[in-house]
Amino acid sequence: MEMDIPAPEELEWLETNALFSEEEDYTVVEEVAGGDQAEDLTEVFRRKASDPPTTIEIQTSKKRPREKEAAAALEGVLADDERGVRRRASGDDSDEEWLRYSPPKDVAAADATPERDVAVPDVAEEKFISRFASEIEGGSMPVTGPCGDRVYAKMSSGEMGGTQRKLIREKPANYLLSEPISILSRRVEQDALAKALQTSFDSPIHQTHSTSQTVNEQLWVEKYAPKSFTELLSDEQTNREVLLWLKQWDSSVFGSQIRATTDDVLSALRRHSSVQHQKFSNLKSFFGTKRGALFSNQNFKSSDVFDRENNNLKGVSELSSRKSPVNHLPEQKVLLLCGPPGLGKTTLAHVAAKHCGYRVVEINASDDRSTSMIESKILDVVQMNSVMPDSKPKCLVIDEIDGALGEGKGAVEVILKMWAAEKKSIADKGNATQEAQPGKASSRKGRKAVALSRPVICICNDLYAPALRPLRQVAKVHTFVQPTVNRVVNRLKYICKKEGFKTSTIALSALAEYTECDIRSCLNTLQFLNKKKEALNILEVGSQVVGRKDMSRSAFDVWKEILQKRKLKCEKKSMSGCSGHGDFDYLYSLISNRGEYELTVDGIYENLLHLPYHDPLMQKTVKCLDILGVSDSLLQYVMRTQQMSLHVHQPPIAITISRLVAQVEKPNIEWPKTFQRYRVMLMEKKDLLKTWQNKIVPSISRHLSIKSFVQDVVSPFLHILTPPILRPVALHLQSEKEKDDLAQLVDTMVSYSVTYKNSKPEPSQKAHKYGAVPDASVLCLDPSIDDFVKFKDYQSEHCGLSAAMRQVLVHEVDKQRILRESTGRSMNLTDESSSVKQASATINAEVIPMINMTESSSVDGSNKLNAALIQRQEISKDASKTSSEVNKKLPTSGVNLRSPGNPKKSSGHPSGFFDRFRKEGSKDSMVSGDALQKAATTERDARPLLFKYNEGFTNAVKRPVRIRDLLI
Amino acid sequence: MQIRIRCNCGEGACAEWAIVELQGVVEPQPSIGDQIQGLEIGRLCCTSSSSSSQGSYTFTVGYHELTGSRVSLKKPLLVLKKMKAAVDGDERGTELEVIGIIRHKILFKSRPKALISRPQIKEKKMS
Repeated sequence: MEMDIPAPEELEWLETNALFSEEEDYTVVEEVAGGDQAEDLTEVFRRKASDPPTTIEIQTSKKRPREKEAAAALEGVLADDERGVRRRASGDDSDEEWLRYSPPKDVAAADATPERDVAVPDVAEEKFISRFASEIEGGSMPVTGPCGDRVYAKMSSGEMGGTQRKLIREKPANYLLSEPISILSRRVEQDALAKALQTSFDSPIHQTHSTSQTVNEQLWVEKYAPKSFTELLSDEQTNREVLLWLKQWDSSVFGSQIRATTDDVLSALRRHSSVQHQKFSNLKSFFGTKRGALFSNQNFKSSDVFDRENNNLKGVSELSSRKSPVNHLPEQKVLLLCGPPGLGKTTLAHVAAKHCGYRVVEINASDDRSTSMIESKILDVVQMNSVMPDSKPKCLVIDEIDGALGEGKGAVEVILKMWAAEKKSIADKGNATQEAQPGKASSRKGRKAVALSRPVICICNDLYAPALRPLRQVAKVHTFVQPTVNRVVNRLKYICKKEGFKTSTIALSALAEYTECDIRSCLNTLQFLNKKKEALNILEVGSQVVGRKDMSRSAFDVWKEILQKRKLKCEKKSMSGCSGHGDFDYLYSLISNRGEYELTVDGIYENLLHLPYHDPLMQKTVKCLDILGVSDSLLQYVMRTQQMSLHVHQPPIAITISRLVAQVEKPNIEWPKTFQRYRVMLMEKKDLLKTWQNKIVPSISRHLSIKSFVQDVVSPFLHILTPPILRPVALHLQSEKEKDDLAQLVDTMVSYSVTYKNSKPEPSQKAHKYGAVPDASVLCLDPSIDDFVKFKDYQSEHCGLSAAMRQVLVHEVDKQRILRESTGRSMNLTDESSSVKQASATINAEVIPMINMTESSSVDGSNKLNAALIQRQEISKDASKTSSEVNKKLPTSGVNLRSPGNPKKSSGHPSGFFDRFRKEGSKDSMVSGDALQKAATTERDARPLLFKYNEGFTNAVKRPVRIRDLLI
Repeated sequence: MQIRIRCNCGEGACAEWAIVELQGVVEPQPSIGDQIQGLEIGRLCCTSSSSSSQGSYTFTVGYHELTGSRVSLKKPLLVLKKMKAAVDGDERGTELEVIGIIRHKILFKSRPKALISRPQIKEKKMS
């Protein structure tokens, strides 16, 4: 209970306080007698000021810091009358300080004095008790009377050492109240001070004084920013979900699972739903670092309190962690808030985090956001225990994460990395609770990849920014929707009333509409106008708005705007002719802000024809497509000449289309994919053709450009490749002409390096068609050139060959190709001889003996041989004699190979060329074979003796050998 | 029976001989027949003779390479040469002369390694 013992300074202060209140007793009476009029009051005070008692001097010296602190408190407070500005302006008038302080003392004294009857009406006038919490300034307390009436009583008390202090002393460490009574009482004290300050401004002296002092005026946006959860203007559902998400962290961060929503939050929520705008309740104000730092005494106390809270918390957490080792972290570790500017995303993040007891660490667009910096920062947040007196866990808020693409990406990467680490470590869940304890975690985390153990809230404007794509899948996404205009207008009205700025609801709603409920820009505008002493002009809202956040819309928005007619605008158009012009301006700026004209036009192009516009004669369509053509050629020109200034002509093109086809109905817009898809396809096909062209024999391919091939040749070429005359019969059954045709076809296919290959049809398709035959594959052309003539709903005239024929062709082509390759190699070796025949002969000489060596003349060997001979045929076409004679002489093996099953026919078969060469070849082989033989013998002679190894053989009989035997 | 031998070189200065022991047979190519005179048997190389007893040798015969080691004999052998000496009218017809002494043998007992790099030639030769 050390905290309950007041600090020596405090005691001193309390003493003077008590003295003062006693002294003031007589003023109360006078005040009551004189009524509530301010003039009387000031008169009394003046009179008091005239005689200088010693206490006043003491007080001025003591009051100094408190005065400042009160002023600071007031900055946060939503003042309920117009005098706020003036009040703050005269913040440091020291000679009247006692005046400011006295009125609450009156009240306090009145409470204390036995004349209660007199005091009560006074209280009622100042709204100390009311049926509505909203009417009470500062902290309030619900009181239910015996008859069931519920009223809210203002909490005010000046007696620091009185009964309430006693209460504190009696309180145990675990509070029944959501907040320690000491904090409540201090807050009440602050309220009292605030009130004192406020009433002191009622005096007419300051009215003249304050009008000029508006130099360091605070921005309204900050001044009226919601300080507590209940004041948030954003969508209630979102608010609750964010809060819920943060609450899910409680078990791991605070270690306690029993922390439910505190009572006052619940009641506040209830109130919030019923009453739209309530006055600032000083709910969380003591968390404000600003104030705490200013007033040392308070700071001391607050740190005391926090220590206690912490002790308490730790005790609870230890207990609960022992009880339940499994903690329930939220499924998504990252919260992503997105929405247009000015809806209060950042505010919500801050308020909610504070509300759940976190210290908010914000990384803004203005901070250094390189990957390493972000990482260290996140590590700090996640691991470090703050050195500050209040060791609140931290909550990271990364604002405008989509802002800078490169840097923002860094942040996203870091978060994703940590998230991945988390996933990995999810296996050992048992450690999780330990990790959650900030003290113990450090050693463990040093080794492992760091996991996210503190809530991270990311805020962005454009959810679909490319940098955020990975994060989107991981994070819990909340999209902010615009609050209703009514809500915004109400709040604006309220603020205007507070600030004494005269406006009308219509003007405000026009403003809200114009800014799309961007309350920040609304407030900035209003403040600006207030400064200039201008009234909000309904007609010229557009020109008056200031302080809009610069922002480009997403491509979808742009398309939507273009393709959808605005209903409201239509109505306006009927009213005033000039608004059509405004529409144009709006679209123009929208499109030019977006910038990516190519994408914009693409989107228009793809979504245009899905629009349900009325166009019986297709005139609109034609016009639109014409315009798109213009746009396309413009783009092309710009790209070619790099004259970017010509881009200014792009938005009007889009606007023209918009004028032509925009409909009121909501268009179903899709992202343009066709361009990309066809581009990829084009690249693929081009690539395919290029590789194909490289494979073709150079003598052919040099006359064949890809372009002309695709445009002119493909179709006839396919006709050539699939001659309808070929009968699908076995080779040996074919007629002479057919064989020639086949040979020619094979020749063509080889020289164009076209073949058939197995390709499996689509699995699903296959399943439907041939359910029983699972691996039925179809032979297709290898460079699938037939794709070039495949179009939707177009049947090419060339008829495909039958499967059997294809099979045959595959074999033939393969054979031919191998042959050619081998020839090509040997051709390279031999000199380019003048006569082709000679060349072929030499080649034969080279090739054939090799085969001859393997004397067995296996089918394979002769096969090869024959293939080689076929080759020769093409090289030398001149000589064709004696084929039949040779044929007879020759063993039939060579011909057999072509028709193995039919030796009889083959004998009579005039496969002339081959056999001629074969004869030549065999002659050659004889000669060269001899030569080879010789070479072999010489080599053998070089090694006359051979070693013959006797392996593992022994008779194992030892026989004595006489020396006589050795001596012969 | 006592055989008297004569040593020209004298004790300690006798030429050292060695036995090459092979597990296997060195035989001529069948095509050559019996004329084996003047043919090179192979090449004997001492690959590492660092230690006196355990030197390793390679012996290349034909297309085989044998690897062996030097082994000292339990009993040394003498290499003698029989000479017909009817010079001085002495009663003895022959006399033996010591040419060398054999204390070591080089033993090739492992399986030979084939040196054939071109299989066609081997195939040819085998056939």
